[in-house]
Amino acid sequence: MVQVSTPLETPTLPVKVVQLSNGLTVIHQHISVTPVVVTDVWLGAGALAEPEPWSGMAHFLEHMIFKGSPQVEVGEFDWVIENTGGMANAATSHDYAHFYLATANTHLEQTLPYLSEILLHASIPDDEFIRERDVVLEEIRASNDDPDWLGLQLLYQTLYENHPYKRSILGEVELLMQHTPDLMRCFHRTHYQPENMTVAIVGGIDQESALSIVERTFNNFGVRSECPSFTIDAEPPLLSNRRQELKLPRIEQARLLMGWIGPSAENLEQGVGLDILSVILAEGRCSRLVDELREEKQLVLDICSTFSLQQDSSVFAISALLDTPDLYLVEKIICNHLWQLATEPISAKELARAKRLLINDYIFSTETPGQLASIYGYYNTINCLEQCLSYSATVERLTAEQLQRLAGAYLSPERYASVILKP
Amino acid sequence: MSLETKPRKHQIHREILPNGIILLIVENQAADLVSGRFFFSNAGSIVESPDRAGISNLVSSVITKGTRNLSALEIAEQVESVGAGLGADSSTDYFALSLKTVSTDFPAMLKLIGEIIQFPTFPPAEVELERKIALQTIRSQKEQPFNVAFSQLRENIYGQHPYGVSILGKEDSVAKLTAEDLKQYHQTYFRPDHLIISLSGRLTKQKAINSITEIFGNWPIPDTTLTVEQLPAIDTEFSEKITFQDTQQSIVMLGYKGVGVTEEAYPILKLISTYLGNGLSSRLFVELREKRGLAYDVSAFYPTRLEPAPFVVYMGTAPENTEIAIDGLRQEVERLSQIKLSEAELQGAKNKLLGQYALGKQTNGEIAQIYGWYESLGLGVDFDFEFPEAISQVTPEMIQEVANTYLTNPFISIVRPE
Repeated sequence: MVQVSTPLETPTLPVKVVQLSNGLTVIHQHISVTPVVVTDVWLGAGALAEPEPWSGMAHFLEHMIFKGSPQVEVGEFDWVIENTGGMANAATSHDYAHFYLATANTHLEQTLPYLSEILLHASIPDDEFIRERDVVLEEIRASNDDPDWLGLQLLYQTLYENHPYKRSILGEVELLMQHTPDLMRCFHRTHYQPENMTVAIVGGIDQESALSIVERTFNNFGVRSECPSFTIDAEPPLLSNRRQELKLPRIEQARLLMGWIGPSAENLEQGVGLDILSVILAEGRCSRLVDELREEKQLVLDICSTFSLQQDSSVFAISALLDTPDLYLVEKIICNHLWQLATEPISAKELARAKRLLINDYIFSTETPGQLASIYGYYNTINCLEQCLSYSATVERLTAEQLQRLAGAYLSPERYASVILKP
Repeated sequence: MSLETKPRKHQIHREILPNGIILLIVENQAADLVSGRFFFSNAGSIVESPDRAGISNLVSSVITKGTRNLSALEIAEQVESVGAGLGADSSTDYFALSLKTVSTDFPAMLKLIGEIIQFPTFPPAEVELERKIALQTIRSQKEQPFNVAFSQLRENIYGQHPYGVSILGKEDSVAKLTAEDLKQYHQTYFRPDHLIISLSGRLTKQKAINSITEIFGNWPIPDTTLTVEQLPAIDTEFSEKITFQDTQQSIVMLGYKGVGVTEEAYPILKLISTYLGNGLSSRLFVELREKRGLAYDVSAFYPTRLEPAPFVVYMGTAPENTEIAIDGLRQEVERLSQIKLSEAELQGAKNKLLGQYALGKQTNGEIAQIYGWYESLGLGVDFDFEFPEAISQVTPEMIQEVANTYLTNPFISIVRPE
């Protein structure tokens, strides 16, 4: 197979991105000091790729991939990987499904063909499908017993009216019972195709060997299918404070979750700005919400803020663990802080703190082949790898004025979703 | 050749300072950062009497919140303004502080953690705040069915032994803890002759020795010796306990009395735990999840402890499958005392365990943790190759014998809806 293009190669980073002639994207970085190689295969085939009645299919398919192919028996993949001291796992989200293999470089030739084989040629046997559905049902039951998972589901349902981000990745029990192996094979053959796949390979393997083994093992894709087409309706902007309350007698502490819809992944600079605002608000003892609500007023046990970058639109969320009588007051104080962010520039000292924290976090979370492969694969799948590689420079560049405008544009103290869980 | 048979990549320098501090240094130029772990041996929940249960955990929450020269806010500002990480935590067998910085900030942060370790003040207002939060955290444990099941199992297996209580302590013990108690804990257990400092990252041996000597060199060894209390015997008998909660799943957990890390059976039980419950090819995963669809989460764990550690297998399943789950888990464990594993099965489990062990030592934080931890348990850093060596020597006969000795009589703990 011939390499047709090299769309990205930054002079400062030893990252090589290559698109093969079949459309597959390969991202490689050589780290000579480690014998570990991580191959992380990312597919733009998460819950967003599901027509609504197919809800849960992407995640269920992730389970079924491990049930083998015509060449690989059930359980054989797991045995080969672990018997050579390696580790494999997988995860599905709205934007992606990914499959991860960590192995010693000496075992890569032996193990990687198994991973490509089950990914490209999944059999999805009928009897295994029925059995594995029970496992997925257990996964749903276990998640339903986790109050924090329930809270987050409800927040996304409240925040989105149309977009599939409102749906649970695990799917609904009723719909899962209606799915068939044929439908799943159709979903697989439609989406597990080279132009929809990124192979990130990082660690103790040089560039030539890495490209060579990926070209050899990811070249025989299955016959294409075509799933029913569907369109995703545009999500109307939030015009008010949408609220939901859930009573969970089993919990000891109330939860307050507040959410805002942020920019799409294409606007990564804005996303980085919201990362900074998230640190200003609630990361560390010195952040505004931790300082006032946990340390000074002692109204919450814990408070945190997260910015989750997503392909079509991101989510900025603040969540607190607190006593029921303090719910109203805490929400009001948080809104006051958002109002302040939009009306007053952040001080130089606060901004410097947030920037240092984020830049160092990036250093601390890019130590291992596994961490790097995951970052490269993820950002490429949601179409902003290039911007990700300049993450630290973007953090440095953003000014207090830009952040103030961002807060005004995205973090309204009036238009947001709130979810309350009460004991 | 595989990952696990390679010789250790990093050279570890081990120095003992005049006041007894053991210093471990791994020079690792790979990334521009330094990770440090500061272990106090003979501390942690293992030294807690029942009426003081939770004190180590509370010390870990308050120790970073005031020193003779700095307030809680000033400490946080110093750490966060350079984007460093500084924290404390306690475990069953040790108390530890941790530090993570980019290389250039390491000297300043080392100075700060030196001040925190030697001169904390435990301000009463901070003690009160963190105690209140600790009490609420203890109550919050009931929200997770797994925690409820494990807590119930732990109490049944250990009785009055400190391993019977969560690291968080109990509501009645934590409620009574005062700033004076925390100060006394600090005076008793924080001493240079029980301190192990383990560093990994972009630094050199000599610079590290100089910096540590400058910060900790004048810390005198107290006149008193640290006496180790006799721990209560673990003499509980088989029991089965059920807690009813309004959940969608049952959590089924079987626990056995295992051994501590210094016993001969330790590596064998570790290998059995891997064989049964670690990874996608493990016996419980294949038999109970892959073939029967009974669970999403089915696993085993056997932690590394000074005193006898619990050996646990568990799964979450639909309530109507509770009895099937108990039988399934029990039969899989008992099978090991009835048959000999094939050489292929045994070798597969060894490869898996050793591969995962190697994959667990990649970041500077992981490297600093594992060597410091082994040193603090009194095993020494050589345990890092003694352990894989012991694993490679395990035979099918040894597995069967250890299963017969330790894994025949489970304590059963269940959380399920009525």
